[in-house]
Amino acid sequence: MPLNFALSTLFQQIINGLSLGSVYALIAVGYSLVYSILLFSNFAHGGFLVVGGYACYYLLTQSGYGIVLASAGAVLASGVVAVLTERLAYKPIRERTSTTLYLLIASMGVSIVIENIFVIVVGGRFRALPQDTFPSGVFSLGSGVTVNASDILSLAVAVIFLGALQLFLSRTRWGLAIRAAACDLRTAGLMGVNVSLLIGIVFFVAGLLAAVGGIFLSAKYSIYPQLGNITIKAFIAAVIGGLGSLPGAVLGSLLLGLAEMLTAGFISSQMRDIVVFSMLVAMLLVRPAGFFGKRVGDKI
Amino acid sequence: MKKSMVFLTALLLFVAVPAAASDAIRVGEIATVTGDFAAYGVAEVESVKIAVEEINAAGGVLGRKLEVVMYDCRTRQEDMVNAARRLVEQDKVVAVIGPSGSGLCIAAAPIFNRGRVAHLGTLPTNPLVTVDEAGKVRPYNFRICFLDPYQGRMMAYFAAKDLNASKAAVLYDVSSDYSQGQREFFVKGFEEFGGRIVADEGFRGDDVDFRSQLTNIKEKKPDVLIFPFMGKALPLAVKQARELGIKTVIVGGDGYGDFMWEVAGDALGDTYWVSHVDRYDPTLKDFFDKYKERTGTECQEFMNAVMAYDCVYWLKDAIERAGSDDPVKVRDALEATASLELLHCVLTMDEFHNPKDKDGVMLKCDPKQKKALFFKKVRPE
Repeated sequence: MPLNFALSTLFQQIINGLSLGSVYALIAVGYSLVYSILLFSNFAHGGFLVVGGYACYYLLTQSGYGIVLASAGAVLASGVVAVLTERLAYKPIRERTSTTLYLLIASMGVSIVIENIFVIVVGGRFRALPQDTFPSGVFSLGSGVTVNASDILSLAVAVIFLGALQLFLSRTRWGLAIRAAACDLRTAGLMGVNVSLLIGIVFFVAGLLAAVGGIFLSAKYSIYPQLGNITIKAFIAAVIGGLGSLPGAVLGSLLLGLAEMLTAGFISSQMRDIVVFSMLVAMLLVRPAGFFGKRVGDKI
Repeated sequence: MKKSMVFLTALLLFVAVPAAASDAIRVGEIATVTGDFAAYGVAEVESVKIAVEEINAAGGVLGRKLEVVMYDCRTRQEDMVNAARRLVEQDKVVAVIGPSGSGLCIAAAPIFNRGRVAHLGTLPTNPLVTVDEAGKVRPYNFRICFLDPYQGRMMAYFAAKDLNASKAAVLYDVSSDYSQGQREFFVKGFEEFGGRIVADEGFRGDDVDFRSQLTNIKEKKPDVLIFPFMGKALPLAVKQARELGIKTVIVGGDGYGDFMWEVAGDALGDTYWVSHVDRYDPTLKDFFDKYKERTGTECQEFMNAVMAYDCVYWLKDAIERAGSDDPVKVRDALEATASLELLHCVLTMDEFHNPKDKDGVMLKCDPKQKKALFFKKVRPE
C-alpha cells in the first residue's frame, strides 16, 4: 500500500538523517577515543580527516590506484599525520604539564596549520573524487522515497569499522591496555604499559577513522581545506553521546543527524544549528556526561 | 632595550627603503584566495597579474609601472575590512579591485569612502554595493557587472517565458546578500509574469547537505527549481537534487563555473545559468589561452577572471584620463567612463556607478561536452 505523501517525506528525512549521522559517527568515535585517554578534545581531528580526503583524491587521480589501495594509502597517511601531531605538538606539552587545556589550545593551532598547509600546497578549490569511485545508483523505496547506494555503503563501512574497533578494544592486549589507560593513564604506566606507544596507537586509530570519514565526506560533499570544520558537529555528537564512550558517540551522531534533517525539513533550515546547539546545552544541563556518560574509571 | 630599538629601526628602514624607491603606481587587490570562494578569488588574482604584466610590458601607465598589492580576505567580512583598511591607510593605493562577493564589498564600502579611494567590484551584484540603504550613491564604489535585480528578473523572465514554468521552488543562502538579493528579485519578477512560488527554502552559507530542503521541494512538484547562490553549494545542491529523484529544470544565477562538473557531473544536465560572458566567445580565446599558459590549468571560474582582467584595463584608462595617480581624480575619471572598449563589453557608467545596458547571457549545460554553452541572450521586459 503506498504511503501517504507526508509520511513518505518523513521517511525520506529519516534516511537523510541516518546517512548524515553515520558519517558523523566515524568522526565522533575518533574524538571520543582520544578524549578517553588524554582527557582533551582534539580539535585537530578535522585536519586528519582532510589529510585522508586529499590523500585518497590524489592517489585515485594522480597515481591511478583503485579505491581500495587509495583508501589504504589515505588511512595510512592520516594515521601517520595523527601520530606525528601527537609526537610533535602534544607530547612536549604533556611532558611539561598535566593541564589538558594547553593540549586543547594546541589542537586548535594544529587544525589551523593543517588547513593552511593545504590551502598553500593544493589551493582552495574544492575537488571531487572521480565520479565512478563509489556506486552512484539511487534505489527507490516506493512512494518517492529514495536512498543512495553510496549512503548505504557509508553506513555499512561505518558499522564494519566501529565493530572492528570494538573487537580491537575488547579482544586484544593493546585494547586491554587502552581500556586500562582510560581508567588511569599513570597507573597503567606503572603497571608496565608503554604509555608513549599506547598513545601513539590511539592517535593512529583515531587518524585512521578520521580518514575513513574524510573519504566518504569527500565523495559526498567534495574535498576542500575547510572540510574539517564539519567535525564540530561530530564533536557535539560525541558530547551528547558521552565523551569517552564509543557507543555513545555512535548514538549521539545518529541522533544529531536525525535532529538536523528533521528540523530543516519540518521546522526551518535556519533553525538547524540552533536546535543542534540547544541539544548540546540541554544535555550539558540535564546530563553533563552525555547519554552513555560513565564514571571515568568505566570509560570505553 | 637599546639593542631592540636599533634592530627595529633597521628593520623599518629595510622595509621602507624599497617602497620609497619604487615609482610604481600601486593598485590594491582583495581576493578570496582561501575560504569557501577561494576558486573564484584565485582566478581573479591570476587575471589581474596577466593584465598588469601586459600593461607594464607595453610601457605602463603615464610612463610608470603598475604594482599590485594583494590581500586575501578569506571570504570573511572582518578580513575584508582589515584588508581594505591596510590598502587605504598604509599601502596608499590608487584604487582597489575585487573581490566578487557582495557582502564583502558592502562591508568595506565605508572604509573606501572615508579613505577616498575608489573600489572596483568584480562581480558583486547586490545593489547595496554602490548605493547605501537610502538609495544614495556611494561616491567611491563602482562595479563592472550587472546587478541582482537584473539577473533575478532575467531568471524569472526566462523561467516564465522560455521554460513556460508556472510553479517555481527556490533554494537560497540565508547568510548571503548576493543570494538574498537574487531570490527577492526572482520572486517579484516571477509573480509579475504570472508564476507562483510553491517552495521557498533556505540554508546557511557553510552547509553542505541540502537534502532536507530538497525533499520538501520535491513534494511541491515545481516546474522549475531556482538556485540563486554560489560556491561549492551549487554543484552539491544540483547533485543532491538529482539523487533525490528531482528531474525538474534548474535555473541559477551567475555562480556557475566549470569546476561544477567535477562535483556534479552529469547531474548538471537540464540546468541553465545566468552569465556575464560566453566562455566560448572567440574574442575571449586569447585571454583564456594566456591564462592556461600562465597557470597550467583551464580557467574554470571564467566570469571572475574576465571581470578582474577588465577591471585592470578600466582602471588604467581612468588613470590615463585623470593624468594622475591621485585617487580622487581617478575616482572622477572612473565615474565619467563612457564607451570604453573592454574585453567582454563596451563600458559606460550610469549615475549609480553600474554599467549601462549590459546584456545577460543564458548558458545551458551540455553533459556530453561537460561544458555550459551559450543558449541565448536574455533582456527581460
